Amino acid sequence: MEIVVCLKPVPDAETRARPLPDGTRFDPEGVKFVLAGYDESAVEQALLLKEAIPGSAVHAISLGARSRTDEVLRAAIALGCDSATAIEASPAAFEDPIAVAAGLRAAIEGLPHDLVLLGKQSGDEEEGLVPGALGELLGLPHFGFVVDLRWDATSQRLRFGRSTEAGEESWEAPLPCVIGLQQAWNDPRTAKLPAILKSRRAPIATVRAPTGPPEGPTSEPARFELPPPRTGAKMIEYRTPAEAATKLVRILSEEAKVFP
Amino acid sequence: MPDFSLSPELESLRDMARKFARTEMVPHAAECDRSARFPEEIYRKAHALGLMNLNVPAEFGGTGLSLLEQCLIVEELAYACGGMTTSIIANCLALEPILLAASPEQKQRYLPSFCSEYHLASFCLTEPGGGSDAGALRTRARREGEEYVLDGEKCFITNAPHASLYTVFATLDPAARHRGIAAFVVPRSAKGLTPGKDEEKMGHRASSTSTVRFDGVRVPVADRLGAEGEGFALAMRTLDQTRTPIGALATGIAQAALDHAARYALKRETFGKPIAEHQAIQIKLANMAQAVHASRLLTWHAAWTIDRGQKGTLESSIAKCFASDAALHVADEAIQTFGGYGYMKEYPVEKLLRDAKLTQIYEGANEIQRTVIARELLRGYA
Repeated sequence: MEIVVCLKPVPDAETRARPLPDGTRFDPEGVKFVLAGYDESAVEQALLLKEAIPGSAVHAISLGARSRTDEVLRAAIALGCDSATAIEASPAAFEDPIAVAAGLRAAIEGLPHDLVLLGKQSGDEEEGLVPGALGELLGLPHFGFVVDLRWDATSQRLRFGRSTEAGEESWEAPLPCVIGLQQAWNDPRTAKLPAILKSRRAPIATVRAPTGPPEGPTSEPARFELPPPRTGAKMIEYRTPAEAATKLVRILSEEAKVFP
Repeated sequence: MPDFSLSPELESLRDMARKFARTEMVPHAAECDRSARFPEEIYRKAHALGLMNLNVPAEFGGTGLSLLEQCLIVEELAYACGGMTTSIIANCLALEPILLAASPEQKQRYLPSFCSEYHLASFCLTEPGGGSDAGALRTRARREGEEYVLDGEKCFITNAPHASLYTVFATLDPAARHRGIAAFVVPRSAKGLTPGKDEEKMGHRASSTSTVRFDGVRVPVADRLGAEGEGFALAMRTLDQTRTPIGALATGIAQAALDHAARYALKRETFGKPIAEHQAIQIKLANMAQAVHASRLLTWHAAWTIDRGQKGTLESSIAKCFASDAALHVADEAIQTFGGYGYMKEYPVEKLLRDAKLTQIYEGANEIQRTVIARELLRGYA
């Protein structure tokens, strides 16, 4: 099985976020961009399938500033991916989901692909639009919120679950398709030190994202603000759980006016 | 111009070690310290990820890192737990004499199994009657045909109860002092080799330390490292390589102490404001930050010097001595910043002081480091 896994470099969770002076977006100065969250789960899923199906290969692709894409691609190679492709695009395209999907398509069409895996959303902006847009642009079915993906060799179909608010669903689907994965259900592996060293010398192919309409950026960020600082918590003093609940309900209805 | 920035390559090594330290070591550090538990499952994970035999070249299956790369990793591990780090890097110390003095055939015999499987090795130099005076060894080696017979006792041997291989320094002729010593590789299975019981230690309690007795242990001549009489020089050359990472280990402990103290100072309020706004605490934190920064730079410089092929005896002694003294001081000041809470075992900083203390003692006591520094220094004036 030829698997393409799409990766977005996102700010390290330890980053202290601040807006640019013009207030339009996140200031990336001095921020470390890493492979994280949903995409780690996507890489892990791709590697599990590769290990289960002899002769498979995993191709990692990433769109963004070159210094950032190369770091997440090398991380993916260190984990066990077979090839890496960086998609170069104009900075305006980085935050536009349709332009990102168009860029990913440009790379995917140059690679063998039975299955396209990605996080159901990115770890930073969390819009969740790229997987669906990518399915549409590739003309392939798309499934989101997927967990526990397996290949059934007998029926030649994928079997997977979807966690939704309505409950746990069980699905099966033929290849090729695009799958957006839930985060952290598969305990992503850690790269070994020798593999990290080797990944530094791995070749990274380059693809240019399309620039013109209709696949160029269709949106631009207007403002980026930090949430207001949290104010102090209010501690409820109580002797019995019933007393705590009564006091909480009173505060919620009379002070916070949560209940009418 | 010197370049103090870390390449993306170095950063990726450091980040990997940091992730391992924070996810695998930190959650167990306090518990292992309290119960003096040797967390073998963590050491096995460290081995599986290539964090254990950092100095063994890739041709034998090791990671083959430069000393600077090793130092970046050791600092991150020690930030999480000094004791676990000591046990993780003890293989580097025990295998270094093999890297320096073994024949190609011996290297092929000893090294690959350490990299392909989880095994621990112990460096056996120190004896009950002589630590710093390493030339005064009492453990005897007598030649009998194609074998040597070892008799004596070693003490303070890291990982000894769990090791499968021991690099042992013994004297063929006590009267010849430094010139009478030879080095041997002895497997755990050798008859007459007995590790003692785990010592109860002040710090580094996740590490394991014991005596090792040799009662008529027969060692084939093929397991001698280098020539007879070259053992002392080999031990010193080994410590020249492994001293610098102790500077990194001390820096990791000190950085942890500074981080704990600074975070606490921003949270804890007295006289209506966070104690970080009191000048007395600011001065403390500023001094701690200077000590940590200087420790790291001295360590990097010593590693860089040795990586360039120079001996680096002066540089590595300065780094080890300064960083370990600094770690004790910074951990002490972190406790002072926490006040009464810092003295409580429920908080993480008193462990740092106990762990820091050992870095002044092992791999060459700081008194010896100062002797070495003065000797190297005065050579330039004579």
